Amino acid sequence: MKVLSFQQLPYRHLPKDFAQHYNSVVKTPYHELVEPELMHQDHVHFLDEMMHAARCGFDGVGLTEHSQASYDVLPNPNLQLASLAYATQTEGLNTALACLGRSLGKSKEPLRIAEEYAVIDQISGGRLIAGYPISLSYDANQNQGIPPIETRTRFAENIALIDKAYNTPEPFQWNGQFNKHPHVNLWPRPVQPKLPVWAPAVGNPNTLAGILDRDQVFLYLSWFGPKYTGRVFERYWEIAEERGRDLNPYRLAFLQCVAVGETDEEAHREYAPHVQASFNSGLGSIPPQSLGLPGYMDIKGVEFIAKDPGDFGLMPKMRTASYADIVDAQCCIVGGPETVKEQLMELVKKHRIGNLALMVQHGSMPPELTKKNISLLAEKVMPALKEAWVEQGWDKQGWEHKWWPTGLNGSKQV
Amino acid sequence: MSNQTNIIGPSRDELISIWNGEITVRVRIAGEGPAIVYFHPAGGLYWDEFLDALAENHTVYAPELPGTTPGDPYAIHKVASYNELLLMYEEVLRKLELNQPVGIGQSMGGMVTLDLAASYRNLFSKVVALAPTGLWREDAPIGIADLYAAPPEEVPDFLFNNPSLPSAQAMFAMPEDPEDIPAHIAQNVWALGCAGKFLWPIPDHGLNKRMHRICAPTLVLWGQQDQLLSPTYADEFAAGIPNCAVEVFEDCGHILQVDQLSQAVEQVGQFIN
Repeated sequence: MKVLSFQQLPYRHLPKDFAQHYNSVVKTPYHELVEPELMHQDHVHFLDEMMHAARCGFDGVGLTEHSQASYDVLPNPNLQLASLAYATQTEGLNTALACLGRSLGKSKEPLRIAEEYAVIDQISGGRLIAGYPISLSYDANQNQGIPPIETRTRFAENIALIDKAYNTPEPFQWNGQFNKHPHVNLWPRPVQPKLPVWAPAVGNPNTLAGILDRDQVFLYLSWFGPKYTGRVFERYWEIAEERGRDLNPYRLAFLQCVAVGETDEEAHREYAPHVQASFNSGLGSIPPQSLGLPGYMDIKGVEFIAKDPGDFGLMPKMRTASYADIVDAQCCIVGGPETVKEQLMELVKKHRIGNLALMVQHGSMPPELTKKNISLLAEKVMPALKEAWVEQGWDKQGWEHKWWPTGLNGSKQV
Repeated sequence: MSNQTNIIGPSRDELISIWNGEITVRVRIAGEGPAIVYFHPAGGLYWDEFLDALAENHTVYAPELPGTTPGDPYAIHKVASYNELLLMYEEVLRKLELNQPVGIGQSMGGMVTLDLAASYRNLFSKVVALAPTGLWREDAPIGIADLYAAPPEEVPDFLFNNPSLPSAQAMFAMPEDPEDIPAHIAQNVWALGCAGKFLWPIPDHGLNKRMHRICAPTLVLWGQQDQLLSPTYADEFAAGIPNCAVEVFEDCGHILQVDQLSQAVEQVGQFIN
């Protein structure tokens, strides 16, 4: 069982009535909403908190990419990850660094991403987990100007190009629809002979099949509440069996929001306003149409969702969801260590989850409270999660984690 | 469909095999008389009263954009670029064996019509463009990206000056059988997605550098209240196309042949006859 601390980088000082007046993506007015000093502070606190998680013993730290968004100001997460690679290296922290990731359906420079990953793997001595999401529609299409119907074909070409660039020793030519290069010859190459790849997705069957065919980890981003969206896990394991893959729990990573206090009462009191603000003014304030502009989703996918929008769980009412709604749907698991442990262990056991990415900072949460959450998770929750692995008997089944960084010598696990 | 309009619609189809047999384009046809070719806008081919009126004394040929014909959604993936699309439409027209038809196009279809007229100077006898895309000015931002991102209930306001017209509402009517609604939604969303390949994010493929080549007499119509494309662009076309007349309708939005049906039919009729 691997446990990662995951964070977005929201601007933490949005007005309380943000969700009533603004969208959180694309055209959100910067100067109207942002105090420059506070934005600077948020950037530094973000790195402080990630380092705190590494020092507390999380197996890894993770982050992802969004442009033109107030809820996650990480236009290129590899900038932060490069800082963390050096800082953890100087402290001798053996922490995996998960970029979850750079969006390939959005990228007009996929080789730049391949180079960035190689550099981070060099600085960190082989501790990188590489993420290749397709991209959210608003980010690829509205922010980057990619025609929606080309998002997936661009993703497919970009991932093939990166794969070939890492695995071909000699320079080669690339003549694609979106990329043309007379000489592809990366300097540096990653330390690890084969970068572990985790692919973030929300459960589209075609996407899941592609992840399994490429033998990558499916990272399920359950913002919408696993209470309602648990069927995505079942779908994933069914497709794995159909496509001849084993049921190695390490094939699955799950991202879950958590907030731990010393007691249930304390947790709800301290975290509630931040958690609610996070969902209302972050994900909830993304216009639903911006998650699927016409052409972004296959025609069969549109028909499927028009018949059955169940994969989106609480999403349609996220902008106005109450704290009780959010907690009830398990969009965020909040409570004392026993409550959080119990709910997480149930999810792990029920859905064969081998990797848990725990999102530890929410909306307006200040750094002290974020660090407290991280510390309590590390001390009082993480050990139990590792026990869940043993309780399920998965340790005796001898599953190998083929998607975890190998470090410098290529065989010793980080 | 539940609407209060009485649309006659196409009477027959022809399936034209093009692109070395890779793509089949469905051409919907109505009427008898001299040929008109109609290129539809981003939402797919919607046969409206304007087309019915043209078909009263013409044969109207309306090719569908590859990918928008029901049952053949992935044809769009075989069209690599806007230039290829123009070559494909030229092939369709050649195989229909029409002798210098009138070319008419709405919005995206208007851009296609003008570009075909600029590329193949003897293809059309006359050209009519209804609020065509294809140009871009910094002081007149284009609303395509906002239209695509708009919630369904806001889309009519982008397209019509008077969205309450029965003919405007009929365009957005859902099938009566609830079982058919998901497929209907998917078809409409996909049609926009296919068109987005040539419109997104800004439909400027360099027509401003080519429109001086158009030699067919051209009529450009626009709605004064067009929320998607400013009527400023009508002046740009008038200045750039050698033999170009322009009419701007009052109380009229982007889909001008719905907002001002009788004016549109009258103006187009006078021009092409």
